[in-house]
Amino acid sequence: MAAVEKRRPAVAPAASFPDSGRPAVSRTAAATESEEDFLRQVGVTEMLRAALLKVLEARPEEPIAFLAHYFENMGLRSPANGGAGEPPGQLLLQQQRLGRALWHLRLAHHSQRTAFNNNVGVAYECLSASGRKKKPGLDGRTYSELLKRICRDGEAPEEVVAPLLHKIQCRDHEAVPLDVFRAGMLTCFVLLEFVARAGALYQLLEDPTLAVADRRVGQAVLDTLEGALQASDGAAVPACFLEAGSRLGPDSLALAMDRALVARRPSSPMTREEFLEKAAALFIAKVKPVG
Amino acid sequence: MSRVSVPCHVKGTVALQVGDVRTSQGRPGVLVIDVTFPSVAPFEEIMFKNYYTAFLSIRVRQHTSPHTPAKWVTCLRDYCLMPDPHSEEGAQEYVSLFKHQMLCDMARVLELRLILRQPSPLWLSFTVEELQIYQQGSKSPSMTFPKWLSHPVPCEQPAPLIEGLPDPSRVSSEVQQMWALTEMIRASHTSTRIGRFDVDGCYDLNLLSYT
Repeated sequence: MAAVEKRRPAVAPAASFPDSGRPAVSRTAAATESEEDFLRQVGVTEMLRAALLKVLEARPEEPIAFLAHYFENMGLRSPANGGAGEPPGQLLLQQQRLGRALWHLRLAHHSQRTAFNNNVGVAYECLSASGRKKKPGLDGRTYSELLKRICRDGEAPEEVVAPLLHKIQCRDHEAVPLDVFRAGMLTCFVLLEFVARAGALYQLLEDPTLAVADRRVGQAVLDTLEGALQASDGAAVPACFLEAGSRLGPDSLALAMDRALVARRPSSPMTREEFLEKAAALFIAKVKPVG
Repeated sequence: MSRVSVPCHVKGTVALQVGDVRTSQGRPGVLVIDVTFPSVAPFEEIMFKNYYTAFLSIRVRQHTSPHTPAKWVTCLRDYCLMPDPHSEEGAQEYVSLFKHQMLCDMARVLELRLILRQPSPLWLSFTVEELQIYQQGSKSPSMTFPKWLSHPVPCEQPAPLIEGLPDPSRVSSEVQQMWALTEMIRASHTSTRIGRFDVDGCYDLNLLSYT
């Protein structure tokens, strides 16, 4: 970064004032004025304000690292880069753009819907920016790549996520509008959280000595969840919450698990991957495919 | 609790005065309002807005039997509407009187007479407004409840569970969160279409022209 730093020539404050009657006062006033002016001219005031607003919105756990990443991204984006060698190639630019979009998308949790939507908008703009040869807009290939990258970084196993990608991916040549992009991003992040929860659930169900869960118990829990989801298909909104609550309460679940164990079927283990796949299938069944 | 308004005809107030009615100096302290019914009606509730009436008596003429002539019976005697006739309290309140507050049975009422009294000389005039009589309406229509609400599962003592089951409350909390996430995704879907016109992934002209 040392090559980029250039020192601006200091502005001589007193030389241009015509009225020399009060030189002392005007010189100090001019000095402070020029500092403020300088900051405003460079755009630092605006930039710092935007940075602080971003910090307030994202509320990161490590604000220093967050700000460092923020300014790094800002530096990459600004055209006046100071000429760091030849302009990077098309592929590198694409990767940079993907990285930046991912960074934006991770700033807010999907439950903070307004902040998340804002970030989705910024990420969309960042990806749609036209390169020299590309037309403006987000194409299907970039979108699919972004989805794959999110799922990979979210530590969700491939087989679990594959059906979702199949449903919401777009073809390479298609132009992806903002609404489809937003819905896809939301679905992806929610699926990642869902898989995390399913993983925690598996840990609760697994036998501590064997490190696998009993198939009957796991299947019973998944069947109860499926039943609750189907019940809320037909019912109106308040009633479906009550119905789901009564089906998924601790008593009914305990009863279901108990009944499963009592049934005279031999016990066999269910691996974590299988459990996650089945759980994710329940989720993905409710996702509306792109079309 | 539904009530049906009974059609009635309220006659104008008549002031009761001793002596010559035309002397407008004295302000009467007693007013009478007559209410007649086009048909014999069962009485449930009477509702009105008070306007500076201190005490209210109600006399009712009932239809007892075809042979005996109907008599006037007092069913409410000196009901206090204003605790202090000289002050404002209770002066402009809405009042509801029910049939269980009446002294006599109000099954078949022919005529109703309200006797209003205001002993205080402070008020220029007094009356009751917005008089309405209600009778017992039909019961509220039955609603259909979902099965689990109208037939709740009897609170049975759960059979002793097999040991080694995972903690149901924690399992339940995880499953409920998973359900909530799925419901959220199901509810939020965009209607924007991406504009695909292919047939089974193929844009072949021959196939497309057949659809």
